[in-house]
Amino acid sequence: MTEIQNPILDVQGLEKHFGGITAIGGLDMRVGEGITGLIGPNGAGKTTFFNCVTGALTPDAGRVAFADGDITGKRPSAVAQEGLVRTFQIPRELPEMTVRENLQLAPRGQSGERLAQAWLRGDEFADDERRVREKAAEMAEFLEIDHVLDAKAGTLSGGQRKLLELARVLLTEPDMILLDEPLAGVNPTLEQKILDRIHDLESQGYSFLFIEHDIDVIMETCERVVVMHQGQVLTSGEPADVKSDDRVIEAYLGEEV
Amino acid sequence: MALADFFISLLTFVTIYSLFGLGLNVKFGFTGLIDFGHVAYFMIGAYVTVFVAMPAGLSETYEGLTGLGLATAFAGVPGGDLLGWLVALVIGMAAAALVSVLVGIPTIRLREDYLAITALGIATILNAIFHNERWLFNGAFGIREVHEPLSGAFPIGTGSFQLNLLLFGLPSVAILGYAAYRTAKVVRPLSVRPALLGTGATLALAGSVVFVITTMTGLVVDLGVFVLNVDNTIAFVLLVGSVVAGRAALTETDHIGALLALASALLFTLWYLGQPLVAFVTEGETADLLLNLFWLYDATAGSAGGLDYDRFFFLFTLAFLVGAYLWVERTVNSPYGRVLRAVREDESVPEALGKPTFRYKIQSLMFGSALAGAAGGLWAANIGFIDPTQFASTVTFFAYTAVIIGGTANNRGVILGTAVFWVINSGTRFLDDFFPSEYAQQLAALRLILIGALLIVILYYRPEGMLGEQDYDIDLGRGGVSDD
Amino acid sequence: MASAGLLDALLQGLITGMIIAAGALGLSLIYSIAEVPNFAHGDMITIGAYLALALNKPGAIPFVPEFGGLPLIAAGILGVAVAGSTGAIYEVAIFRRFRSKGADLITMVIVSLGLALVLRNVVLFLVGSGNINYDTERVTNTNVELYLTGNGLSVQTVQRQAGDLVTLGEWGYGWLSLLAIVALAAAVGIGVYRWRSDDASFETVHLVSPRIFGIASGITALAALATVLQGAPHTIDAAVWSTSVGVSIKYGVIIGLTLVTMLAMNLLLKGTKTGRAMRATADNMALAEIRGVNIDRVQLVVWVLAALLTALAGVLTGWFASNLNPNMGFSLLLPIFAAVIMGGITSPYGAVLASLIIGVSMDVGVFLLPAEFATYRTAIAFVILIGVLLVKPEGLWGDV
Repeated sequence: MTEIQNPILDVQGLEKHFGGITAIGGLDMRVGEGITGLIGPNGAGKTTFFNCVTGALTPDAGRVAFADGDITGKRPSAVAQEGLVRTFQIPRELPEMTVRENLQLAPRGQSGERLAQAWLRGDEFADDERRVREKAAEMAEFLEIDHVLDAKAGTLSGGQRKLLELARVLLTEPDMILLDEPLAGVNPTLEQKILDRIHDLESQGYSFLFIEHDIDVIMETCERVVVMHQGQVLTSGEPADVKSDDRVIEAYLGEEV
Repeated sequence: MALADFFISLLTFVTIYSLFGLGLNVKFGFTGLIDFGHVAYFMIGAYVTVFVAMPAGLSETYEGLTGLGLATAFAGVPGGDLLGWLVALVIGMAAAALVSVLVGIPTIRLREDYLAITALGIATILNAIFHNERWLFNGAFGIREVHEPLSGAFPIGTGSFQLNLLLFGLPSVAILGYAAYRTAKVVRPLSVRPALLGTGATLALAGSVVFVITTMTGLVVDLGVFVLNVDNTIAFVLLVGSVVAGRAALTETDHIGALLALASALLFTLWYLGQPLVAFVTEGETADLLLNLFWLYDATAGSAGGLDYDRFFFLFTLAFLVGAYLWVERTVNSPYGRVLRAVREDESVPEALGKPTFRYKIQSLMFGSALAGAAGGLWAANIGFIDPTQFASTVTFFAYTAVIIGGTANNRGVILGTAVFWVINSGTRFLDDFFPSEYAQQLAALRLILIGALLIVILYYRPEGMLGEQDYDIDLGRGGVSDD
Repeated sequence: MASAGLLDALLQGLITGMIIAAGALGLSLIYSIAEVPNFAHGDMITIGAYLALALNKPGAIPFVPEFGGLPLIAAGILGVAVAGSTGAIYEVAIFRRFRSKGADLITMVIVSLGLALVLRNVVLFLVGSGNINYDTERVTNTNVELYLTGNGLSVQTVQRQAGDLVTLGEWGYGWLSLLAIVALAAAVGIGVYRWRSDDASFETVHLVSPRIFGIASGITALAALATVLQGAPHTIDAAVWSTSVGVSIKYGVIIGLTLVTMLAMNLLLKGTKTGRAMRATADNMALAEIRGVNIDRVQLVVWVLAALLTALAGVLTGWFASNLNPNMGFSLLLPIFAAVIMGGITSPYGAVLASLIIGVSMDVGVFLLPAEFATYRTAIAFVILIGVLLVKPEGLWGDV
């Protein structure tokens, strides 16, 4: 097992129980720069892990550090403010708002988001909003959803929703993005498009932790893979090493690999 | 009461409740918070404003806390009582906002249905406290010593009859004219046939009502007993004709809104100007017609007439409503408002994108409650007497009905919905005159049955309300090119 | 002459709790199976009470033809039955339509609010806002006065007849028999509990849980022993402690009726095919539908049952308080919601238990607090609810 020297995300001894069921039991994980894949059979606790790291759930024990700051038990908004954001497995578009508004919502540090600024409107109010509009339009173009900008988000197709979800997260300009199955239920053409974009973004300096079921995709995309099983890290390392690991094969037995 | 006076009082009601509804719209329409305790902030605003303005020792029957007397504190300054009252109103709004924070901090994290019932409970308890604790604000006996700002200065007039008529009469006619112009713009897209059918249906309906109520005048009738005579037969025929024509009009056009506007405008004209017009045409009687047209001019105010306090107070509340409308518009047409709506749609999304949603919800609650508080202060000054029974939970439910009828998350819709609600609830009160007085309660109940049914029907057939959600545009000032 | 004390408040609270429970049971069904936070529930209670009134005292309602009126028992049963059909109307005319449109929780809240407005004003329209009561025999309270003396417990039953206090009966228990009664009753209770929980394997679904069976047997044993072991009364002049508990036939009828109703509901939910379909629907409506449950039928049953239960609560409230008014249901709405949320929305048994807790806290609270707080009876229920929600936002027993 290779160790990450300068982890961005450092999780130690994470535990989460639901009633008597242990979802995460003493999990240690270090995630560095680049694209890291997170795989594991159904019920391994991957999404619960995301929820605990991003503050949607409060862990029962353990410590979560991000970029050298302790974010354990912080509210999701505070975690996102630190530069760690996540997508949802089932895209959560804001249906009654336009795609444009969905995107414009995302950028961090908009001065007009403060009530006093919304009322008084200093100079930076208009400047900020112009910047936000430009960025949202650029992002829409980058992910090729600019033709639906003025549609209500509730009218989008499944694939477009996935892209919107990704676009929104990118617009927060985070340091690391947790992607919860961004390719689930996506057709092959769109899948390639999303993967291309993720590679583009990696070269721009974004880091990703990426839940995916398709091992082949993980092998092609990721520099490093972490395997979760029964609420713990089973192993991690180079994709090729992990794929040939007996324990991984055993954990996936009975499932399609 | 002259029709114009009734018209003014109805308008004042609509204005105050619209302000109350705007506050609810901030919470419910734009942020998605079901605050079933909205009336509590209306009550707090009313009581605190009255209490802060009220001088001590005005009355021997008042046994509550001694008023702070702000109404007389600035007596030396011209318009000092208005200034004192305004400060009192601001304090009332602040008190409402403050209480809403205290209520909100523990409850606002709850599921939406739990929030609804908890808020309803807290409002009920607060009302019970105001009702039972006489040491606080005189309990169930209420407060009669309500300061009415500037009431001493009215009625005002120039002393010259002609000048008064010009000064107050012309704006009245201008406002009616403008309303007619706006209505005409809405009605314009209607083609001739459906417009004629709609007019026919409305006139037939009105005629039917006229025939029914004229036969009932002075008669001791039992509800449910329908006497078959000439008038009633004509009424029945007209009613059937109205339904047939109305159906035909509805099937012939997609502009249902335009059709409704046309019918409403016709009904208003018949109600407000019908009888005076008949009097004018048949007897050359102009007094009623002029009084109704020049509704801002009160002939009984002083020797030469003028602007009485009720009319002034309507304009006063209208100014507050316009101010609040612009204030709410500014709030929702901003990145801040965008976050509020995101909270409404799915709270977890803005939270995951780094927006502290708890803070947004609390602020929304405070803002909406402060507006309810302002409405409360105006309410008290308008009525001149407050007691806890005026602030029952039904007031909250009425406001929800009004907001939903007009269009949730639409500030103009709130005003329209409030107008529709109060026209059904109070504007039809003139019909009471034609029934024996013991049926007044029944008729009031009947209206509310109608309103409850209307609420359900609107939610089913047109959940977005009459106007639907409003459009948003963030104004960037000079050089800002809007792309929305 | 003893004065009313904690024991009296406790019994009052139990009655209050029983009435709340009848409402809460219905609301928990609607809430969990129909997924409607039903704000019309209080007004459904009012409707039930007034339906019985229309049959019992037709003269009070202008639109009902005068036919002399039925005795309250018949009117109550018929009224509750008619109320059941109104439940079907609510479902078919309103809620089924909104369900098929996929209305969200907020919409359902507002729809039920609209229904509440209609129902309350239908009562105001037809009957008016005045207080009214059923045409039935007046029931006089009997005070059971307990005196603790040096020799044991002495009991007197006293009734006020034509302004005078009349002692109806007088008996006592020695210390020894008192001890024996309590010990034996406790032994019976615990014994039955042991026997019930031992005889079945872990998987067995008890129709009545062993704990409830045990408590019921204990109470029955207590009553039986207390009757059998009655002795001579002691002199009560030297009583060290005394208290008076007001009871009447109403208490027995209310406790009995609600208990029978709960038992029937229990039987329905656990023992019948419809009950299983209802529980499956509460669990997951989409899944239940896939498995062939007729959702529309289940929802219809739920609304009818809820309407029957609310009507029962309404008739009992009106009879117990000797007063009906258009607000009677609405004032019960808060305690009922409090009980349902506290008991966990999907747990009818939790709702019943929470109802009893809330009923008892309301009346005991009013007894313990200074007299000027008596008007805050409903507020007490609410303070408890808010307290529970602050500690456990998902309710006391959660959504199990």
